[in-house]
Amino acid sequence: MLNKKLALDVINEASLTGADFVEIFYEDTYTAIISVENGKVNNVINGNISGVGLRLLKDNRSVYGSTSDVSRKSLLKLASTLSKSFNGERVLSPVESFTKVKTKERCKVKTHLTDVPKEDIIKLLKETNKDVKDFDPRIVRVTTNLSIEVNSTEIFNSNGKYIPNRKEYGRLALLSIASEGNKMETRFDGPGAQAGWEFFTEKLDLKKLAHENASKLIMMLEAKECPSGKFPVIIGNGWGGVIFHEACGHQLEATSVAKGLSVFSNMKGEKIANDIVSAYDDATIPNEWGTYNIDDEGNVPERNELIKDGVLTGYLVDDFNGRRMGEKGNGACRRQSYKFEPTSRMGNTYIANGKSTKEEIIANTKLALYAVSFNGGSVNPSTGDFNFGCSEAYIVKDGKILEPVRGATLVGNAKDILKHIDMVGNDLAFGQGMCGSSSGSIPVNVGQPTIRIDEIVVGGRGGSIDEF
Amino acid sequence: MNFKKFFALAKENGVEVSEISEGRSSDLSIEIFKKEITSYSIKENIKIIARGIYNDKMGFVSTEKDDKDTPLYIINSIKQGASLNETDDEAIIFKGSEKYKKKNVFSKELEAWSTDDILKTLFTLEEKMYEKDSRVSDVQVYFSKVNEESIMANSYDLVLKNKTNYFYVGAEATIKDGDEVKSTFNLFLSNNPAEINLDSFVEETVNKGIEKLHGVTIAPNSYKAVLSRDVVSSLLTALISNASSEDVQKQSSLFAGKLNTQILSPKITIEEKPLEKNIFYQYFDDEGVATQNKVIVDKGVLKTYFYNLVTAKKDGVESTGNAHRAGSKMGIGFSNIYLKPGRLTEEELITKVKNGVYISDVQGLHAGLNPSSGDFSLQAEGFHIKDGVKGDALTLITVSGNLFKLFNDVIAVGNNTKLLVNATCVPSIAVSDVKVSAE
Repeated sequence: MLNKKLALDVINEASLTGADFVEIFYEDTYTAIISVENGKVNNVINGNISGVGLRLLKDNRSVYGSTSDVSRKSLLKLASTLSKSFNGERVLSPVESFTKVKTKERCKVKTHLTDVPKEDIIKLLKETNKDVKDFDPRIVRVTTNLSIEVNSTEIFNSNGKYIPNRKEYGRLALLSIASEGNKMETRFDGPGAQAGWEFFTEKLDLKKLAHENASKLIMMLEAKECPSGKFPVIIGNGWGGVIFHEACGHQLEATSVAKGLSVFSNMKGEKIANDIVSAYDDATIPNEWGTYNIDDEGNVPERNELIKDGVLTGYLVDDFNGRRMGEKGNGACRRQSYKFEPTSRMGNTYIANGKSTKEEIIANTKLALYAVSFNGGSVNPSTGDFNFGCSEAYIVKDGKILEPVRGATLVGNAKDILKHIDMVGNDLAFGQGMCGSSSGSIPVNVGQPTIRIDEIVVGGRGGSIDEF
Repeated sequence: MNFKKFFALAKENGVEVSEISEGRSSDLSIEIFKKEITSYSIKENIKIIARGIYNDKMGFVSTEKDDKDTPLYIINSIKQGASLNETDDEAIIFKGSEKYKKKNVFSKELEAWSTDDILKTLFTLEEKMYEKDSRVSDVQVYFSKVNEESIMANSYDLVLKNKTNYFYVGAEATIKDGDEVKSTFNLFLSNNPAEINLDSFVEETVNKGIEKLHGVTIAPNSYKAVLSRDVVSSLLTALISNASSEDVQKQSSLFAGKLNTQILSPKITIEEKPLEKNIFYQYFDDEGVATQNKVIVDKGVLKTYFYNLVTAKKDGVESTGNAHRAGSKMGIGFSNIYLKPGRLTEEELITKVKNGVYISDVQGLHAGLNPSSGDFSLQAEGFHIKDGVKGDALTLITVSGNLFKLFNDVIAVGNNTKLLVNATCVPSIAVSDVKVSAE
């Protein structure tokens, strides 16, 4: 914990030259990774991330400093150095005390991961590892690991607020590699939550997960190459939500919207998607991977409506970028650690349920690619061009799912693609991922029900789809 | 931390041999937008990574705290990790190489570059970007200067030190022509401020954006192609990761069993030059082994794998100085990968291809490229090649192929090598077959 008197002195020192807002972000994070490879424990590593980030704002300017040396001398020197970026008079009244802000606990934990004997974790990892490895002799390498992160933070700011917070993340990573002759295939599954040991022992069905990982790995090893061209694509629920994350979510972050650098800048109230599309970012859903009690500048998260019936209704806003936009932060300001200046980011982002069932969507499709799972993707916010790579996909013909295909990549443009969503299912689910952007790598959920896009460019090596 | 005291305390507590790597870094980052400093940040960081042998097994730990409790925290974490470690890997802490080729790569010129002069350079860059072409809008200029000092010491009295610094200047802009919007980005990386030429940097950055305008579509098909340096660099890095001896030993590399066999085109020679005096220079690896320049692929023939001490012991060979820590765990890494240049200029490569495509950039490598299988399917930017000349930009395309096949299908290697930001120095190449998908 950071000494409150020291926090007061640092804020008051930093505000001497005209800063209109000063914030201290103190962090002490415990990390652990326990890893099993081909049945043997190969790593048990503890770590810690610890330090202070200091942010000074003045109008549309920000200065930021971070240090892992949290001594009084170091922090006062940092405050003094940063304050030299401004050369005005003090505008903030000196802070004399802090008022503690209470936060709602959104992620209840029954058994803390740090209280679980490492031997119990290893037993579970070994069982899952064996289930995958024993599935097929072509599976040559299986790694199962559990990563734990317990993140204790304190925010102190020039509004006299003191906001302590704690987050506890656990994620199981299952990486398998199969090989046959000159072919090699990999598969990754990584369910995670802000929850305790109960998530892994009660909520997750690890036998099912292991079977799915192994069977899909072998299936994709044997799959034909994906066709290429422009044609309809059905995108599966859960991890399929990465399309909305890349194609739209990043362009709704104030980081790019505020400076007019997003394809969706200044478009609130305009139609950007088909009528059947509504989308939200909701960091308040209990125990989800992208949930938080308080954001990384001390604002309470909200269920932010982004698109309603195809119309752009909101952005993800942090207080600093909100200054350019004339908006207040809506609890979407995040950072990887104290080393990163925080900015607007996603939490649990999803397309809302529609009316069709998954079966109806498939039955109503003549010829398409059915992309079930993805490795990830990326986007250029200023042009809106995005891509994402499929890890599991099938051909759908005459309303039926046919053979699996490998090596599919979907590319498109954000402004265009949302208008081409012509069916939305009713089976909303989430997938967990790590999202990298200017404030570092943070846990996010992507989500959606099954959807259909009437046409998108598909890259692959399997010739024309008409040949299937 | 007092290393000698730590090693003695570790020994008292049953950790017979131990090692500490302490890294200190400081960096300054600045962002400029519309004639204002929109972001200015300074970072100072310390990271301690330690490992030690307890009951013949290795344990690891990392921390950013350096206080009175740190030594015991490290020792207890090492003991816990080692107690649970079940690998058959021999626990090795290195006594030292006979000779190290240490060079001074710390730039005094960069150290002396004042913040006022840096800001002057950045504002001039922004102004020149706007002045270059009326279609340039929303320019963002980035700057970062990094100082890194590392010390590695172990209880065998091995002490190795390194000190480096570098900076980069980046410019990003949108190019607007009517309703059409394209983006451009460029980065200049060096440790000598005198090396940046703003006029040529601006010209290259703006032209990269302008030439993307008024794109046309192309029929999905297989094409002959010229791959730009950036594309070659991305693909070659993924390909060469298969030379990791750890992956080979664990049967997850397609280079397994291919030593001294022809795996790539005879036109391809790949070297690793960690001792080359540039900003990626390294004279010892993460286990303290002296690094060495070496040929990895000679005229298409695989000559060696990348080894650390543990994997080398398994194969009965010497470490190649390629130990690399990912997080705290010791693995395999490489840097300063050089692809030997050919004789043709990039224009001559285009002439040679005659009809095909020029691929200038690829995106989404983490999602669309599988280094193990070599399969890739990536969003790309590029141009038509018609009658030996680079022509219209291509709108929204993907390129697909297999790395092993691609680097076998080489028509010619260019002579335009350049050191790039991901520690590779490569030229453009011409290949006989990539699959292009488009609208």
